[in-house]
Amino acid sequence: MADQLLEQVRDVVDGQIDFEGQKLADILATALLSIVGAVSFLVGFLLQDIALALKIGLGGTALTFLVIVPPWPFFKQHPVKWLPVGTSIPSSHQNIVIDEKILVTQ
Amino acid sequence: MYNSLTRIQNVFGFFTTVAFVVGAIIAASDFTAPRTPSASIKPTNLQVVKGRPHYYSSKKEEYALIRFSLDADLSSLFTWNTKQLFVYVTAEWPALDGGAANQTNKAVIWDTIITSPSSDHLANIGPATLKKLRKSAAGKSIDPNRGKLSLKNQRPKYQITHPTGKVANTDDVTLRLHYNVQPWVGALTWNQDVDLGLWKKMSQGVSKVFKLPAVKRKDEAKGK
Repeated sequence: MADQLLEQVRDVVDGQIDFEGQKLADILATALLSIVGAVSFLVGFLLQDIALALKIGLGGTALTFLVIVPPWPFFKQHPVKWLPVGTSIPSSHQNIVIDEKILVTQ
Repeated sequence: MYNSLTRIQNVFGFFTTVAFVVGAIIAASDFTAPRTPSASIKPTNLQVVKGRPHYYSSKKEEYALIRFSLDADLSSLFTWNTKQLFVYVTAEWPALDGGAANQTNKAVIWDTIITSPSSDHLANIGPATLKKLRKSAAGKSIDPNRGKLSLKNQRPKYQITHPTGKVANTDDVTLRLHYNVQPWVGALTWNQDVDLGLWKKMSQGVSKVFKLPAVKRKDEAKGK
């Protein structure tokens, strides 16, 4: 029982996401941080206030962490389709190669 | 990016890159702001006295006390990227012959730190003065008026001497105003000798030549 609970906690902390999700996470992180950087400079420059620029920069970065790091559902929209366990092809029609020797089974 | 840890690492890595680039752009943006400092300075009272470097030293040296009046407009040096302005006055006179005659003696007689409102909390002042300082800025993020200095017969902070211990009767002494802009991000910059784009060198800022007097005598009843 505790094992199963621990497994669930481990899954959440691990935060695995599928491949399409990873691609999205990468693009999103780059785009968000670039926008945060640009906005913080422009606002600071136009209002001539460096403390404000710093606050926008750090706040925007914290927001980016919150969007990217947790394994949100929208990162898991395209799970990998694994083949089912134990295929329908009989073993005699499978060419199993072990150490460069073809294993011939009956 | 397959688990939370790698996503944290990647996002943080790009964050440091963005922070560095934005900092570099902020520092570069300083060149778009023109600098037009101006100042006029003159000595008002000159004294040369004999004294010791510290209480127990056996050597007696001559020290020059140079009081001066200063009117300066350094307000254009304050931008959003200015953290502090360090302003100082030096007394300079050429070295006499006897070896390298192309040297100038320079000694700082007075200095001050002028903080921008964004760095008032870092100034070396107590809570009451801090409150007054913040109020004087009236909520603005930069306060160029702090760059306008008007000092009358200002007492120097430092009494100056020469390594030989003799400064009385020195000729060709001038007072010169210097400034050092300390930014939040970017390189330190001092007063310039030449114009660089929008940054102009200080107009005037040097006093007329004067001479240090003889050592002050104690028996003034004798009529000096």
